[in-house]
Amino acid sequence: MPWLELLTEPLAYAFMTRSLLAAAMVGIIGPLLGSYLILRGMTFLGEALSHIVLPGVVLAYLLGWPLAVGALAVGVLAAIGVNALSNRSQIREDTAIGVILAGSFALGIAMISTVRSYAVDLSHILFGNILGVSISDLWLTFGLSLLVMLTVALFYKEFLVLAFDPDLAVVLRLPESFLRYLLSILIAVTIVTSLQTVGVALVLAMLVTPAAVAQLLTRRLPTMMLVAVGIGIFSNVSGLYISYYMNVASGPAMVLVATAIFGLVFLAAPGRGILWQRRPGRTATLPDPAAKAE
Amino acid sequence: MNFLHIQCSRYARLRCAFVLILLLITGCVSPAPADMGRDPEAADMTDDHAEEDPAHADRLSELAALNLAAGELLQVVASTNIIADVVAQVGGERIDLFTLIPVGADPHSFEPAPRDLLALNEAHAIFINGLGLEEQIESIIDSLEGAGVVVSVNTGVETTEFDGAQSYDEEEEHQEGIHDEDAHDAGDDKHSHGGADPHTWFSIHAVEQWVDQIEHILSALDPANADIYATNAAAYLVELEALAEELEAIVAELPAEKRKLVTDHDSFGYFAAVYGFEVVGAVVPSVSTLASPSAGELARLQDQIEEEGVAAIFVGTTVTPDIVQQLATDAGVRVVILFTGSLSAEHGPAASYVDFMRYNMTAIVNALKE
Repeated sequence: MPWLELLTEPLAYAFMTRSLLAAAMVGIIGPLLGSYLILRGMTFLGEALSHIVLPGVVLAYLLGWPLAVGALAVGVLAAIGVNALSNRSQIREDTAIGVILAGSFALGIAMISTVRSYAVDLSHILFGNILGVSISDLWLTFGLSLLVMLTVALFYKEFLVLAFDPDLAVVLRLPESFLRYLLSILIAVTIVTSLQTVGVALVLAMLVTPAAVAQLLTRRLPTMMLVAVGIGIFSNVSGLYISYYMNVASGPAMVLVATAIFGLVFLAAPGRGILWQRRPGRTATLPDPAAKAE
Repeated sequence: MNFLHIQCSRYARLRCAFVLILLLITGCVSPAPADMGRDPEAADMTDDHAEEDPAHADRLSELAALNLAAGELLQVVASTNIIADVVAQVGGERIDLFTLIPVGADPHSFEPAPRDLLALNEAHAIFINGLGLEEQIESIIDSLEGAGVVVSVNTGVETTEFDGAQSYDEEEEHQEGIHDEDAHDAGDDKHSHGGADPHTWFSIHAVEQWVDQIEHILSALDPANADIYATNAAAYLVELEALAEELEAIVAELPAEKRKLVTDHDSFGYFAAVYGFEVVGAVVPSVSTLASPSAGELARLQDQIEEEGVAAIFVGTTVTPDIVQQLATDAGVRVVILFTGSLSAEHGPAASYVDFMRYNMTAIVNALKE
């Protein structure tokens, strides 16, 4: 019973309920997309997109639009731009991302300096705080999350092929470039959604860390996604409880839980963890080059 | 079409911003002389203990009069527009005043643009609040190449330490503690991790000390106009005394048990001390607007608001976190907007320091009276 009370006590506050719901949704779509992201080696795109959206936020502010709309527009444009650049020329994908990131972020800062008295409000979306999630934010998060999940469900197999073997995708005559654009756009949508709730510094943790843990624990994509989503929800929700009981700012608490899980699993994952491989009693079950040589 | 027009002017401003950024970059690359006639310890002058620092007193009295050409005005920069207003009251027509932080900007997060650096480098005197208020500016001021004297208007002003929302309950204790250097050094950690509360302008008494300080500096740099500065300062001090009496009369309408404040960040410590308010809590429990609260802190604040029956949360125009709006909705209280770190625009309700204090006091009393 005391355990149950520990869990239910924060729910007496409406803001905690809203924050927990938002945290859980971000904990679902982040790791879901993140699984494709790390399999394709696209984490840099995730990192970059979270900063690339800055000029969109500023522009939306100037035009009086909701800030998330501007962020979404620029995020999607940048995702398309990265693909277009790396598709048609000799420019590698990470180079294209770097060029667009630098230019876009500089544009955002230049724009902020023209409306400098409002710089605080604008940077606010970049440092979004999950404790300030409103009902309408929650609906937006919910809608976008649903969109992301449905798209992933529809194109699950295509993305799978794309993630593991882009050449096979061409052989199978899958619309390879369409799928790449779609995946990038989904990542942009996910980032903007998470941006509002956890802020720019922590978005990457939602995308990468749970999926990275799952990669250490599983061998198949469906189970990897399930485990990643589980870890995402667990670290976000328990992070919020930690923030409630231990007085740590919420975003960092959520990310630190995920990071701690990663550290533990990296050290001690069955079969693949560092500790596991070094345990003397276990060496016999692992392929031993010395034994083969004999 | 209107839309297009706006776009064009925006692009023109953007181009301008790019040129300025290039200027800034080249400015950064050119080596900064270590101490061009300025004592690297000049930061001392922004220290609240400076009053007792003999070296500091020497430095002020050493301020050499400038050789101003006939008709040349003293170039003065003020960081916040509240300081600028007070400086303008003293300097009047005799100074050329540049305000660093524009109306509506948050002094905690404001970062200067290249044109600000030009003004700073050309200034004869730079008045800042100090005490860590201008979080992003102080390092830039430290590295200036100009020969201007940097003065914290709070030099010699008695400050309280920030130590969480409860600190103002222990007002006397803190005020005694503040000059007790040994206690700090000995690790009196209850008081040592906060630092001084920089929001001194909420005490009219402190601003009266600013006036003396500003008059002193301006007169030292520009002795030819010392009489004018003295006359201006005296007239403004009379105005501030009248303001103090007026505010006492307004706050008298509010019974003592209703004098409870919940604010966005801890900026009302001095105000609370002077007018007998209790600071119940702050949404961002820090003297800085740049911190963020934990879920537990927010929950306790909501409890306190409900238990103590506080009718409103007071927020500054410079800080508008979603958290405040959500907290107010959940707790069923109003959000009342005050001017905290900046005056209003020229024709707004708080365009001068005097109007600023009057507006805030009236808004607070009206919100809590019901």
